[in-house]
Amino acid sequence: MAHRWGMAVDLDTCTGCGACVTACHAENNIPTVGATEAARGRAMHWMRVERYWEGEFPDVRLKFRPVMCQQCDAAPCEPVCPTFASHHTEEGLNAQVYNRCIGTRYCANACPYNVRFFDFFNPVWDKPLHLQLNPDVSVREVGVMEKCTFCVQRINAAKTDAKAGQRSLKDGDVKPACVQSCPAKALAFGDLNDPESEVSRLSRSPRGSKLLDELGTLPKVTYLARQTQV
Amino acid sequence: MDRRAFIKLSAVTGTSATLASCGSPENHLIRFVPDDEIVPGVAEWKPSICPLCQAGCGLHVRVMEADVDVTRNGQRGVVKMGVAKKLEGNPVHPINQGRLCPRGQAAIQITYHPDRLTHPLKRSGARGSGQFQEITWDEALADLMSHLDALAAAGDQRSLAFLTRPRRSRRHDLIALFLNRYGAPPPLTFELFGEDVLRRANAMSFGREQLPTFDLARSRYVVAFGADFLGTWNSPVSQNAGYGLMRQGRPGMRGKFVQIESRMSQTGANADEWVPVKPGTEGVLALGLAHVMLADGLRPAGAAGQAGAVIDGWSAGLSDYAPEQVEQQTGIKAATITRLAHELAEFQPAVAIIGGAPLAQTNGLFQAVAVNALNALVGSVGQPGGVFFTPQTSVAQAPPSTVTSSLDKVAADLLSAPRSPIQVLLVDDANPVFATPHAWRVREAFGKIPFIASFGNFLDETSILADVILPDHSFLESWVDARSESGAMVAVASVAPPVMRPLYQTRAMPDVLLEVGRRLQRPLNLTWQTFDAMLHEGVAALPAPASGDAWSAAQKQGGWWGEMVIAAPPTPIAKTAPVRFTEAQFDGAPADYPFHFLPYASQAFLDGSLAHLPWMQELPDPLTSAMWSSWVEINPKTAERLKIAPGDVVEIRSQHGSIRASAVVSPGLAPDVIAMPVGQGHETFTRYASGRGANPVSILAPVAESETGTLAWAATRVQISRAGGDNNQLILFAGEAHEHPYGHAR
Repeated sequence: MAHRWGMAVDLDTCTGCGACVTACHAENNIPTVGATEAARGRAMHWMRVERYWEGEFPDVRLKFRPVMCQQCDAAPCEPVCPTFASHHTEEGLNAQVYNRCIGTRYCANACPYNVRFFDFFNPVWDKPLHLQLNPDVSVREVGVMEKCTFCVQRINAAKTDAKAGQRSLKDGDVKPACVQSCPAKALAFGDLNDPESEVSRLSRSPRGSKLLDELGTLPKVTYLARQTQV
Repeated sequence: MDRRAFIKLSAVTGTSATLASCGSPENHLIRFVPDDEIVPGVAEWKPSICPLCQAGCGLHVRVMEADVDVTRNGQRGVVKMGVAKKLEGNPVHPINQGRLCPRGQAAIQITYHPDRLTHPLKRSGARGSGQFQEITWDEALADLMSHLDALAAAGDQRSLAFLTRPRRSRRHDLIALFLNRYGAPPPLTFELFGEDVLRRANAMSFGREQLPTFDLARSRYVVAFGADFLGTWNSPVSQNAGYGLMRQGRPGMRGKFVQIESRMSQTGANADEWVPVKPGTEGVLALGLAHVMLADGLRPAGAAGQAGAVIDGWSAGLSDYAPEQVEQQTGIKAATITRLAHELAEFQPAVAIIGGAPLAQTNGLFQAVAVNALNALVGSVGQPGGVFFTPQTSVAQAPPSTVTSSLDKVAADLLSAPRSPIQVLLVDDANPVFATPHAWRVREAFGKIPFIASFGNFLDETSILADVILPDHSFLESWVDARSESGAMVAVASVAPPVMRPLYQTRAMPDVLLEVGRRLQRPLNLTWQTFDAMLHEGVAALPAPASGDAWSAAQKQGGWWGEMVIAAPPTPIAKTAPVRFTEAQFDGAPADYPFHFLPYASQAFLDGSLAHLPWMQELPDPLTSAMWSSWVEINPKTAERLKIAPGDVVEIRSQHGSIRASAVVSPGLAPDVIAMPVGQGHETFTRYASGRGANPVSILAPVAESETGTLAWAATRVQISRAGGDNNQLILFAGEAHEHPYGHAR
């Protein structure tokens, strides 16, 4: 059976530290744009940690929510793409083919989660910072849209390894960079078609919900609600 | 022009014409023969150790081949090399268990930083001008040794000083040994967010002069006083791992977490209950909780043992700490105090944590022993779900050289003495010119030292004062080691060989020390030829695994860890008078300086030593989403009263100076508290950090914790005023502090 990749984010254990954000930069060759471009809203973080303040001092609360591409099953970014650069894979990923992308940015307009980032210029790594680049991930050039891929290079590598070892993929074989690094283990990743996988189990949790569920985008990321102890 | 000169000239122009015709000068003609056996496209994973904080997390480094620009024998060229590609947590390491914080992952940018120092330098302009000239290692070592020999010849060995961070490792053992053999005083250590107060308190309460380890995974109740234990404090990755399990690791049981602090930290944001307290009264609150437990018969006073006995008035039931009195001092309602005390007694196991700002008050030691006593009273010391002390390996038994004078005293001595008491200063991994209050006048004091040598990788505010710089390898290019003081239930002595070959003409500082020790006119008789031999000796003395020897196993997995057969004996508890309550003192009269000023270790930069890493500059701050910026946090009511809008430029003035930063209006702090992250405001620290933002440490008052003499960095009061409108210097990733000139791009 084909895989159907999904993620679960436990907001009760996420501490908002940002390890996932840096891990994503390191794994996916996401450029830093510098202060001037960041001030224009051009900073790229495929993974971000959102914050929501509630109440007033002294009864104040702050909630964190890591947000990445929700890999929607009914993804608004896909039908608007005139070149099929933004498309759905057989394993349910919202993939972006960089060399089909002509930079219309329709997909970013359509995405309700604000997780697509446009390359306004060619990325620059002051030498020798280019040595940190991951050879498994292509560097995006000016004029294309980029986004979270669920670390598809890691999915493919795990499949290749499993095939070489003449075994099938088992739960936990694939860990996107954010999941791998998370100090509090708030993130889980796996196959939603495998009912026994950790991510399937967590996605069935009564604490689970989808982000902007009412839009009907059918995200494959489940958020487990933060609890409160009194 | 004679014939010889003509031929020379035509040869030179001919060569450059050939080179120029190749187009981009980046396309080198020279390809060197690769040094390593590398398989293209295949990743190899090697262990290393994160050098960024005292936690000592194990790294798992992905190494792959790449074309690297190098200089070999003066010839520039390209070579294929195995280089580090990504840092991940070492899955078998007991501290971080395969995970890593954002800073640890960005450590790779130290190695590949475009402004790294690539060869030894000698000062060529006025001190501090930043003018240096390239010299060879022979010249640099000769320069250093001639100064050391001259001191020794004059019998003036005690005028040598070595400034570094207070860390536990063989590297630091070697520094101490070098100084000892030479006849110099022990290393001078400085850390802005140092932990001497807590170590001293733990020695008094528990007989362990050590940072604590928390078994959060098995706790049912955690109450933290100011400690940012999920962000920057102590051993953050191991504490995050335990915290995750405390919340969701046990089906049907979720631990409760209460945070007590004056400004909501990233850690405090995760609390079930966030209790704002007046700065400097955290210890009073801890004793208030203890009072309720004693008065309501929830615990007997004797349960706290030694940790209680060191507190004045403990055996009498802490009569001065009734909830109503504590309410007046702390600003927390008596009913809340009573309820928290009952919860703490009933939810077992429970643990109390103190760290950060409460220890950086003038009464820091009192606050720490108060929380220690609370831990002892609820029975959390050495119990599952409580507080532990990580066993230290036998090589660690030599106590860290705590008998050093503090840096403010050293600076004062330098400024007052007619002849500088330090004639030669060696600096490794420390930047006190940035990370100390300007009132200490460290820069000026260092100006009086005749000779300064730095082992720094970068030009920063301190290394720019050096006469000679002998750049160290990056950690990925060196043998590295660390003994974790906390963060694990077993003893941990991490050690790892170099992950990759050096990119530049740098040398490992420990090897330089060993070489200098050999070549001095009076050799120091350091046993080892190289640093790895020293590491080998240390690890070989530890218990061997079931198969193989400890050294090979340690190199392979990234260290030695396990139960210590002979644990280090507890420090004998010195008989001291019971610690009395003292009120926290603040610099600046409340009438003139109405706000408590709270600098805090930033998630991205810690004490500012990571501000040169572009990933850290562009990492959105957890509470504000600010990037590349300096900001000051102000309560909304205060901002309204002072007519300060988000993004406005605010001037913050203490009795010792003033700085300007953009305002962030934040509900997470009291109306009389102003908070600011430490890290920006570098004058000299690479292209990414220089000239960016303001440094809150610079305006701190030179106030010390009364018992230990360490800097009380949370004891300054300030006044604030609006200095101007939004100058577009505050860059937020989420939410708009101001309209973007080009609209929002996404």
